[in-house]
Amino acid sequence: MTEVPYEGDEASSERRPAARAAKDTILADEGKWARGWGLLEEPGGAPLGPWGGEVGAERWRPACLSLPPVLGHRLASYWAEEEEEALRLHALWWGKGGARGVHLRTLVSSGSPVIPSLLPEVPAALYFEREMSEMFGLTFPGGRDPRPLLLHYRHPSPPLRGQGSPPGTERAPYDFPIVEGEGVYEIPVGPVHAGIIEPGHFRFQVTGEEIHDLEVRLGYTHKGTERLWQGRAPGRGLPLAESVSGDHAVAGAVSYSMAVRSAAGASPMDARNAAAVGLLLELERMAFLLGDIAGIILDVGYAAGAAQANVLRDAAYGELEALTGSRLGRGAVGLEGLTRPLATGLAEGVGEVLREIAKGVAQLLRHVEEISSVMDRLRGTGVLSREVAEALGLVGPAARASGMDQDVRRDRPYGPYQGVEVRVAQGSAGDVEARLRVKVHEVQEAGRLAGLFLERGALEAKVPGAGFEPTSVTKGNGLGVVEAPRGEMLFAVTLRDGVVHRVHVREPSFMNWPAIEYAVRGNIVPDFPLCNKSLNLSYSGFDR
Amino acid sequence: MSAAPTSPVPSVRRRVTLGEVRGPTVTLPYPMGEIREGLAGARTPIHDPRRCEGTGACARACPTEAIRLEGAGRGASFHLDYGRCIFCRACVDACPTGALTASPTFELAVRDLRDLQLHHGGTATAGALPSTDSVRSETSDRVRRMFGGSLALREVDAGSCNGCEVEVSALTWPAYDLERLGIHFVASPRHADGLVVTGPVTVNMRLALEKTYRATPEPKIVIAVGACGISGGPFRGSPEVLGGVASTLPVDVWIPGCPPRPEALLYGIWLALGRLEQRLHQGEGPSPGPALPPARKA
Repeated sequence: MTEVPYEGDEASSERRPAARAAKDTILADEGKWARGWGLLEEPGGAPLGPWGGEVGAERWRPACLSLPPVLGHRLASYWAEEEEEALRLHALWWGKGGARGVHLRTLVSSGSPVIPSLLPEVPAALYFEREMSEMFGLTFPGGRDPRPLLLHYRHPSPPLRGQGSPPGTERAPYDFPIVEGEGVYEIPVGPVHAGIIEPGHFRFQVTGEEIHDLEVRLGYTHKGTERLWQGRAPGRGLPLAESVSGDHAVAGAVSYSMAVRSAAGASPMDARNAAAVGLLLELERMAFLLGDIAGIILDVGYAAGAAQANVLRDAAYGELEALTGSRLGRGAVGLEGLTRPLATGLAEGVGEVLREIAKGVAQLLRHVEEISSVMDRLRGTGVLSREVAEALGLVGPAARASGMDQDVRRDRPYGPYQGVEVRVAQGSAGDVEARLRVKVHEVQEAGRLAGLFLERGALEAKVPGAGFEPTSVTKGNGLGVVEAPRGEMLFAVTLRDGVVHRVHVREPSFMNWPAIEYAVRGNIVPDFPLCNKSLNLSYSGFDR
Repeated sequence: MSAAPTSPVPSVRRRVTLGEVRGPTVTLPYPMGEIREGLAGARTPIHDPRRCEGTGACARACPTEAIRLEGAGRGASFHLDYGRCIFCRACVDACPTGALTASPTFELAVRDLRDLQLHHGGTATAGALPSTDSVRSETSDRVRRMFGGSLALREVDAGSCNGCEVEVSALTWPAYDLERLGIHFVASPRHADGLVVTGPVTVNMRLALEKTYRATPEPKIVIAVGACGISGGPFRGSPEVLGGVASTLPVDVWIPGCPPRPEALLYGIWLALGRLEQRLHQGEGPSPGPALPPARKA
């Protein structure tokens, strides 16, 4: 790998010209920016990956900071993996729209690894740095928050280094910020919540009904999943990929399999398998987003409307079951494509049900639009400005409702979405209403796309034979990026000697969790459930 | 409420009409009546010892070590733990002799963990898979008598992937409508007669789970849900999880699945109340005949 001669330094007055130089380097010299980690999947076999380049540790911060101001790159993921006697850091940046990404890498010695923080210039780096601190023992001089992110107990040694270590018995200290002043009080919530939802702890600082601040503490569902992957044959990692966020298991399996296939240099799926996978992804999206829609309507107290959304949702799960045998589509997608044919005997009529669901959700929206007591609760509630959304690097429907024009299906079309026009939903107000409208649009669009995949022969797809043998890969790495119902879901997989050396998974919620702390500010406590449901963040996906 | 047109969807399908007050009934009769017509999901592995040639392909394919063979060839004994099974059907796909098939049967909940173990050949005890001990609450019989007509449950996610939560919350959707059975989910353990616990019990959730249990008044029942709640599921072996609800609490009923479909949860809850018979018995596994119509008609 060649070191790229970055001219940039930390002095902000120098950053613009330096960044321009960086841009020239990035754009002009593709040879230097070797095709590194591939990203499936291009027809014709050439993986469409981000440009990749190695920089020296001393250049890490200026190199990273030069990207956002130039091409509007946002930090998509930031992770570490262990190499011989060193830690390799990866920072993946996506350009705006379909612009090619940049994948920066550097090596730091593993003795006492230190790398300068990307804060405060890159707010999205905060959680990544906190995670790497506790999981790899990395220190980030200039960082903003030394508290643990996922681990609640002290570990004798960082869990993702060497042989790892089980948690100890001593709890790690964790301080919550406190707002002081006359009449200010604190509301602690969780980890066990009142509904049938995942566990997490919220601390609200409130006066009267107005929320000043919210601090979210997660990690309750941390299962050490990334560690569990290590040393497994890639195929045996599929149940874990489905269980990162079990409510979009198909997206997890597809994203993971993309990364493994890319790492193994496999050829893309055949067109019918791609269509079949697309059908399952879109059906899952419909079911998932209908749950969000039901939740928003339920949390304003309109139970009848929520019940109708849930009727539609159950119909979507019923179709997923008719096709795959599993209501959540588990076990349906393998590394090569389908694991078994979509049950075509049952699948007859699926197109009609999809149209019914799309029609039903549009009717439901028209119906609730007429109810002022519902709309009044949604409008202007939980606002995320575009500025905040971009700074945090939000993904998925939440980003689109705040005016960020992005969708992996359109911007980096993978498998099923090549040559398919995806009509990306767009909101601007960034409030709960905007998120509801974006989600309704996306259910309808998912129905349309699923119909398209049916026309493309999804039901005739045959189970592919073993087209590649991941267990024979001595060294390989790859990325998988999928538009899950929550947004961009990203896997980075390193294979060594036929087994998984490292899996890094960045579930969409990892980017979106900070958003709720911003969305609730200045809102009243009873509107918190609305902010929460409209963002529908995954605890398990964050904690893993 | 605005009126909605009647759905043209055939009646064997789930109705997806925007319901009016007098709209079609979407609630399914189970468990009072038959399972809905044409239930599609065939996920439960069924083993036919007559066709088994002991190749061991199933055990090698199983991602959660739910299957174990002793010996090889025709004389091999076959052991399957439905508490570890994640119903991925990798064993069914791998079996070269057709001894393993997938069935839609879902009434797999049991009161004793040992009843989830299937043994074909060998002796049940000698061939038993290592697993968490079954712990039965002494109060469960009393609870069944007391709560037979009305049961308040508190759900605790002890580290699940959220898959089980989709299906547990589905019980409140119109299709399953748990409250018609006198069962409801409540917001506080202090209002509950029992806990429904999902997830492999993470180290980070153990304390909260214990506190929630202590906050639930006696007598109380505990229902462990899903492969994770029984054995740790795909996460078994991680140092960050304790490997099932029995690590922390006494459990009265176990509901296998990954996740268990809503009807399987209804069955398990009714089993906890003693309103249905347990179908699985130690060593036997589910009956091979489909309990449900294998396919719905279009």
